[in-house]
Amino acid sequence: MTADLSRAALETGEVLVVERLGGGLLELVARLPHLAANAMPGTFAQLRCGTSTTPLLRRPFSVAWTHDDTCGFVFEAVGAGTRLLAALQPGDPLDTLGPLGNGFSVVDSGSVVCVSGGLGCAPFPLLINALRRRGVEDILVLNGARTATRLYPAERFARPAVPVVAEATDDGTRGHHGPVTELLQQALSSRPTAIYACGPNAMLGAVMGTLLESGADLPPTLEASLEAPMGCGFGTCLGCALPVLGEDRVTVWKLCCTDGPVMPMRDVDWDGLRALPGADVA
Amino acid sequence: MTENAPGSVDLGRGLTLPNPVGLASGTAGYGFELEQLIDINRLGALYTKGTTMDARAGNPPPRVAETGGGMLNSIGLQNPGVDSVATTYAPRWTGWSIPIIVNIAGGSVDEYVHCVSVLEPVSEVAGIELNISCPNIAQGLDFGRDPAEAARLVAAVRAVTQRCVIVKLSPNVTDIAAVARAVEDAGADAVSAVNTYIGRKIHRATGRSVLPLGTGGLSGPAIQPLALAAVAAVCAAVHIPVIGVGGIIDAASARDFLIVGACAVQVGTATFVNPETALQVLDGLRVDDY
Repeated sequence: MTADLSRAALETGEVLVVERLGGGLLELVARLPHLAANAMPGTFAQLRCGTSTTPLLRRPFSVAWTHDDTCGFVFEAVGAGTRLLAALQPGDPLDTLGPLGNGFSVVDSGSVVCVSGGLGCAPFPLLINALRRRGVEDILVLNGARTATRLYPAERFARPAVPVVAEATDDGTRGHHGPVTELLQQALSSRPTAIYACGPNAMLGAVMGTLLESGADLPPTLEASLEAPMGCGFGTCLGCALPVLGEDRVTVWKLCCTDGPVMPMRDVDWDGLRALPGADVA
Repeated sequence: MTENAPGSVDLGRGLTLPNPVGLASGTAGYGFELEQLIDINRLGALYTKGTTMDARAGNPPPRVAETGGGMLNSIGLQNPGVDSVATTYAPRWTGWSIPIIVNIAGGSVDEYVHCVSVLEPVSEVAGIELNISCPNIAQGLDFGRDPAEAARLVAAVRAVTQRCVIVKLSPNVTDIAAVARAVEDAGADAVSAVNTYIGRKIHRATGRSVLPLGTGGLSGPAIQPLALAAVAAVCAAVHIPVIGVGGIIDAASARDFLIVGACAVQVGTATFVNPETALQVLDGLRVDDY
């Protein structure tokens, strides 16, 4: 379904803080009343990085959480754009466009597993908050990262009551030593009715592979938030194409921004996605 | 609208734009997204995504790459095909006051003629812009590079439409003025200049081109001085209206095109950054600017 853009708006907010979480993770908090009131779990905002024409394009970020009239974004300073965001000071303006994209289908019952890889933690606090407001309490977060300092802190996935968070690191510095998909294998024994995943596309492919190899029935709700190099964020540049299985399971290009970023994992052409060259993300 | 708000622009053959500021082809789709974000009907024209005879899936990603002051794209003319535009999209334009100018692309004269013929009875279409210069498909560019080929194409299209035909010129030529003169002589009502410049970006970590086809089309403020030079050359060469496009980000950069002789402008890549840019350009221009 093509995303509804009618709630998207340009909004210049005020930076409240850019917090260093450790391991390079940053949490940007800004007063953005429109975005805070309209963001749904899994939707994103396009943030302008600086005021110059270089970098030119906005950068897409999941709305990590909202509280009253403020929004949080989790990111890492890896390129020209994110370095500018990292340098923002309290009181600085923040030029945003959002909310954009299709979010998660928020279930209202059952057993939920959220699988996060690295910065894939970003959409989950808002999702978990929405799940709880619908009465879902059985929520397990599987949080994976390269190393302990790069794990999004467990207590930030939801406040005040922290959900159950199982952690995995590639180097074994905290939690399970190995990929987060090994935690998912264990979690499947409890037969979750909804699985939500976010992380690098390769990690999402591994999640789907783990589910298929398990032989268990796929849960009714099985969604991933994907990423792609993005131009506009609202469906006009056609830049953020992703391979998706269309009618008759033939692969077609769908747009990450307005057909996603959240897509049913059953519909993604994971082999096609894996075959794509790496993105040149700044 | 203020007293000095820019007025209408007569492009010929019955096509009068309510004001000179339009949305450039390939940056506004068919208007349905931007219509949700901005007051699109205040603008002078919507030049649609390049439309071909058959639906095109487009190129594999990555399709966009940011560069200094600009971006490269290699979309590959993803579009639903002219029949879908005529039967499914056009009815959705009913009631819009913004003139819809459908941008047509193709690999042969016959394909262009077919597309224009399909659109001829569609009342929601205000005009035709011929894309003779898409850099991201195997065929199509040659029309823009060779004045005689461009003229042959325009003459064939001229024969099947009563509508205003605007020809969008490629900057990737030695003498853009020669192509402009050729299409004017062949019956074009107006020209728009310029399409994107061929560019390439290397992935620093791998040493490979970022875009799968190697090159793409460069747009954004980086090209504005290049586009301005090309438009000035075109304005000096032809008597038909010239629409300036390339790197406009605000009223000042749009006014430059009017100063060198363009009668209208198109805002392109800047819309991606701020969907209200074209409206801001319109509000920033005054009637004595051109």
